[in-house]
Amino acid sequence: MTSIVPSPGLPTTATPECPPACSVDEILSRTPIATLVVDDSLCICQVSDSYLALCACSREQALGFDLYHFIDKNVPAVMPRADSVRKAIHTATTARKAYVLDDILVEDGSFWSIRAVPIFKSETLLYIVLEFENTTEEHMRQAELEERVSTNDTFRILVETVKDYAIFMLNPKGNIATWNTGAQLLKGYTEEDIVGRHFSNFYGLEDRLADKPGKELVVALRDGRVEDEGWRYRKDGSRFWANVIITPVYRGETLIGFSKVTRDLTERRAAESRLLSAYEESAKLKSEFLANMSHEIRTPMHGMLSALTLLIDTGLDTEQLELAHIIEESGGVLLQVINDILDYSKLSSGCFSISSDVISVPDIITSVARSYQATLPPGTRLEVELDSRLPSSADGDPLRYRQIVQNLLSNAVKFTESGCVSVHAKLLKEEEDSYTILTEVTDSGIGVPLSAVGSLFAPFMQCDNSATKRYQGTGLGLSICKSLAELMGGQIGFRPNPDSKGSVFWFSAKFKKLKRLEQLDELEAKLQSTVVTPPPLPSVSFKRVASKKRLLLAEDNHINQKVMLRMLKGLGFEHIDTALDGVQAVALAKKEPPNYDLILMDVNMPHLDGVGATIEIRDAGLQVPIIAMTANALKGQAESYLAKGMDDYISKPVDRQLLLKTLLKWIQCTISS
Amino acid sequence: MVLPDAGDSLDAATFEQILEMDDDDDRDFSRSIVFDFFQQAEGTFNKMDECLAKKDLAQLSALGHFLKGSSATLGLTKVKDSCEKIQHFGANKDETGTNDLDDDVCLKRLKTTINQAKQEFSDIEKVLKKFYEEA
Repeated sequence: MTSIVPSPGLPTTATPECPPACSVDEILSRTPIATLVVDDSLCICQVSDSYLALCACSREQALGFDLYHFIDKNVPAVMPRADSVRKAIHTATTARKAYVLDDILVEDGSFWSIRAVPIFKSETLLYIVLEFENTTEEHMRQAELEERVSTNDTFRILVETVKDYAIFMLNPKGNIATWNTGAQLLKGYTEEDIVGRHFSNFYGLEDRLADKPGKELVVALRDGRVEDEGWRYRKDGSRFWANVIITPVYRGETLIGFSKVTRDLTERRAAESRLLSAYEESAKLKSEFLANMSHEIRTPMHGMLSALTLLIDTGLDTEQLELAHIIEESGGVLLQVINDILDYSKLSSGCFSISSDVISVPDIITSVARSYQATLPPGTRLEVELDSRLPSSADGDPLRYRQIVQNLLSNAVKFTESGCVSVHAKLLKEEEDSYTILTEVTDSGIGVPLSAVGSLFAPFMQCDNSATKRYQGTGLGLSICKSLAELMGGQIGFRPNPDSKGSVFWFSAKFKKLKRLEQLDELEAKLQSTVVTPPPLPSVSFKRVASKKRLLLAEDNHINQKVMLRMLKGLGFEHIDTALDGVQAVALAKKEPPNYDLILMDVNMPHLDGVGATIEIRDAGLQVPIIAMTANALKGQAESYLAKGMDDYISKPVDRQLLLKTLLKWIQCTISS
Repeated sequence: MVLPDAGDSLDAATFEQILEMDDDDDRDFSRSIVFDFFQQAEGTFNKMDECLAKKDLAQLSALGHFLKGSSATLGLTKVKDSCEKIQHFGANKDETGTNDLDDDVCLKRLKTTINQAKQEFSDIEKVLKKFYEEA
């Protein structure tokens, strides 16, 4: 509040008994409002100092002169001119009451108003008081206000007429306050239906139970905006996939509500999913095609290779034999390529699964290493280092684990011309119900150029893509290993060999622990398993292969020996030697030249048991597959046979179909290698 | 089921596998195997009696294992099970092969089990002989 301070120049309370003189002339000349007073003949009879100051005139230039004459002559163009004044006077005198002429635009763009007050004495006009005011500021404010009103109108019309978006306001509690055409079209409610009801009406039951609408308002208040995609429901109960944006609206500091914009994305979403499924479908078809083709090629390949094995055994001359071996070797490579493609397409079409079985990492590594020992180039040695904490058995996929180790080791051997290849497995982490095992294959070979490291595990990538490739392969091996390792809950990676040139390839895999009981059950199941469904009889081609193969059967019980011989002959084997104990078996196996394609070895035999015999045979450097036959119900022993150098085992009494299956595995093995 | 009389003394699938090895027109092969086994079993039981007298546990275990192998091949379940027990008792283990037992307990059990095995053998022997007489 401004306090009223008495002006020192004016007598106020000094002489209360004598009121101050009130001179009309004084009032008129000192009024801050620019004022002119004219008489009935429009001759200026009084003028305020404020007016004179505005038009920079002296009192003498004004008093007694004709109003219009004075204005024309002295008043600058930035003030109202005669025509405006004339108009104001005319209207005021005609109507005989005060009249305000507004919005007079003058030369410099400012606005003025003229207030003309006619003063009558009965019917006679005596004076006219003219007040001039610069109203530019007020005019601007007004204009702005008008403009704002019209903008609001524009927006309102825009919002109301938008058809594709539902745009409406909620009050602070979330009740609907406004409704547009788009909202009506999209949600099916008319304005009368919905205004005043809560916006959670558009949500599904589940969302409402979870108080999603309420939470959205809270988030909108906190973050200043919330955006959501989800199902919303129309009045008729049908639903649509919506994108929703809620923004709080404030006036000053006060929340007055929320604006809500809803878009129908159903069509877009459907189009997206159509596109996606079309893509997936085509990728799947491609993978299936690859898988089918590989499978179809594999079958005749096996036939060719089996026939070739028979051909080689027919006594070819040196030149023919050399050619046959070239066919055999190329066939082997081709088969590997086809197998890789088959695995790859299965992996990429997602129909590849890891099976659950008893896995013994030490056994697998020992066995894989043994199979590569023979193929090592001279000057290269192979070392195996196994962490003593590795579990002897766990729950995993032994075939797939073996496949990775085999692949990495075969790469290492392929690229190492001299030096050392080593396999190192260790227990990385043991948790309550799982083991994580790290397996590393280190070589001193040619290594990987830095530029190729990034794409090592990508499909179809090979470091050497030149036309004169020195090394064969599809470039799928490592990418398959990567997928397999990931399926086993692990990772795969590469680093340069820190000790010399060469590479270190490593992978981790996670195996579940076997519960003690399960461990026994699994083993027992393995030992005692009998085939439920009748597997196919040995094919003619197997019989033909079998007839060329030489077997050694070591079995001390002559009844069992007799039965086994009969069974093996039934499968097509014609060349079978028998041994009654381990000593005989070793002697027969060590004869030069090596005589057998496979040895069936009873475990318990007098003089030297099957395990001892196996150790002696392996010590003599023989790689022939040895299959243990055991009636031993003592738990956990079968595993140890494998660790001692046996390749497989079969439980007694020997089931014919199981025997066939096992023999197929190892006889096929020798065909393709 | 080829031999309904045998009951649970015989594992049908295993024995049928032996029968399937016969030529189409006779049972010569399986007959020779079965009668070989009769001889082998009698011989083994005699040896067992000798070892029992000498308290040679280790040898008893080996004999148990030996006869277990051939009886298993023929599917003679009960004989096989008893032989396995003989194998365990001879190795100073209980009948499941898990816990240790001392010599006296084992000898006592061996005696019972060997007699049981003989009885089971003679039961199945009768059934099998009858089968081959009819064949």
